[in-house]
Amino acid sequence: MVTSTGAVAPAGRRPGGTARSIARSLLSNQQFMLLVALAALVAYFTARAPVFLSSGELANILTDFCSLILLGIGETYVIASGGIDLSVGSAASLSGVVGAFAMRSLLGSRQSEALVLFVGALVCVGIGLAIGLTNAALINWARLVPFVATLAMLGGAAGLAIVISNGEPIGLDPRAISLTTARLGPFSYPSLVVIAIIAACWLSLHFTRYGRYTFAIGSNEFAARAAGIDVRKHATSVYALSGALAGLTGMFLYMRLGSGAPTAGLNDELQAIAAVVIGGASLYGGVARMSGTVLGTLIITTVTSGLIISNVQANWDQVAVALLIAVAAATQALRPARKG
Amino acid sequence: MSIVGGAVLYEAVRVSKSYGSVEALLDVDFALHAGEVVGLVGDNGAGKSTLVKVLSGVHAPDSGTLVLEGVERRWSSPHEALAAEIETLYQDAGLAPHLSIGANVFLGREILRPGLLGRLGFMAQRRMDKAALHELAQVGIEIQGDRRTVADLSGGQRQAVAIGRAVAWARKVLLLDEPTNHLGARQALEVLEVIRKARDRGLGVVFISHTLPHVLQVCDRIVVLRLGRVVRDAPTSVFDAESLLGTITGLLEAS
Repeated sequence: MVTSTGAVAPAGRRPGGTARSIARSLLSNQQFMLLVALAALVAYFTARAPVFLSSGELANILTDFCSLILLGIGETYVIASGGIDLSVGSAASLSGVVGAFAMRSLLGSRQSEALVLFVGALVCVGIGLAIGLTNAALINWARLVPFVATLAMLGGAAGLAIVISNGEPIGLDPRAISLTTARLGPFSYPSLVVIAIIAACWLSLHFTRYGRYTFAIGSNEFAARAAGIDVRKHATSVYALSGALAGLTGMFLYMRLGSGAPTAGLNDELQAIAAVVIGGASLYGGVARMSGTVLGTLIITTVTSGLIISNVQANWDQVAVALLIAVAAATQALRPARKG
Repeated sequence: MSIVGGAVLYEAVRVSKSYGSVEALLDVDFALHAGEVVGLVGDNGAGKSTLVKVLSGVHAPDSGTLVLEGVERRWSSPHEALAAEIETLYQDAGLAPHLSIGANVFLGREILRPGLLGRLGFMAQRRMDKAALHELAQVGIEIQGDRRTVADLSGGQRQAVAIGRAVAWARKVLLLDEPTNHLGARQALEVLEVIRKARDRGLGVVFISHTLPHVLQVCDRIVVLRLGRVVRDAPTSVFDAESLLGTITGLLEAS
């Protein structure tokens, strides 16, 4: 028996009964600390402007959340697999513009509103999927590094969105606006879709073989390949998923603005990446948490809305997000890497 | 070519492989029998790891053929070689550090949950964790059960997990690239014992090491590579430490 070789001692520190060790394990639990940070932010902004906790403002935050979280979810997969996707913001813009063209022409031909929305969503997801597959082809076949491939796509999609729309928002048909505000109780349709997608992706990333392969590739690509995983195929599906979710985000942006604006998703990729990093992911791959991304997105949207409501000049939110990333990265460096 | 009796299990015939202008392997013949440990030795850059990667399906050879149990095979991916029951321990590169021990042992072979959940890809994680420790114990590697990641283990413990995984899954051919790296003297001897047991189970084992005493202790036959060519292929009994070193460096031409 290779007892000495393999003797892995049982985990040394067990959560003892003392309050101190409980406090220590809570403090080292990133998810808990993110919740604390979120609660502190909400308390702070409410103290500055009590209207922050009004249902109208919370609905605004939820809307912001819905148009950012899908980008963050896609980015979580990509970053867990050791890649990066800089194109999601402009992919959302381009999808929204193309979807708006499609919906406008359908509205013109007097189709039912539900059908128009459905086709619009399909077109948006299709455009996003095509962008994601193009990224995957550039990365897995043309062998560009993900940063360069998706940076090129960022420029390409953003440019294309402006060119085909002439720089003008597409839509603004009163009927188009009316059909984007449908609600089911307190929930808008996008928020219901978002809740379902969060649940499915959380399960998929942390409990299925698909998620396991995603982490394995990000942790050690050679080991994944040697274990028989088809790395190219899996990485392709990850970028395709990120693109498709960006496309759906384009539809949400359209529903929110009532038009497909060519700059609707501008800089959203940076916010999405920030949310993933704040949520505890490592940009080196192999480490990410879906719950962390959700909390990170909530924190970013809370800060952005809170600053607006407290009458801080709008551009300060970028500085605040930068600070959040710095704090998240710093606390991450103090802790050993955790498994995804 | 056969020195140990019995049919050839796995064979490379006149295999060549170059990286750009570097000829890593040149017309290499290499044969492995069931129930045999073959040592593959040579200086850095002699082509040992390249030969392992050709045998395990990571690299396709530029020319030459691979023959498994009398049938010519062409691997387009490591997955195909694995499916043909060729198991490999790669030097320092076989584990995913962010994954748990159980996840690493079952990487690429995940056990899924029964029923609909399994068809959706949901894994039976607890079952895998348990089975992983059992599999490792079966091949003589004791690991206390916990769900730490491989990154949290020491170098020796990681190596033990990597060896255990390869040995546990091996059914025909076992390729071990530097399995005694990162191990203390006594731990290394225990690994050699694990290798002997694998041979006694009827596996064909290829053992690569820079530690010549280990090679002399555990191997039935030794193949010496120099600058991508096989310069000697002989039973271990014809070598002693000095003559083996001389053959590797080329200072002592094989007589």
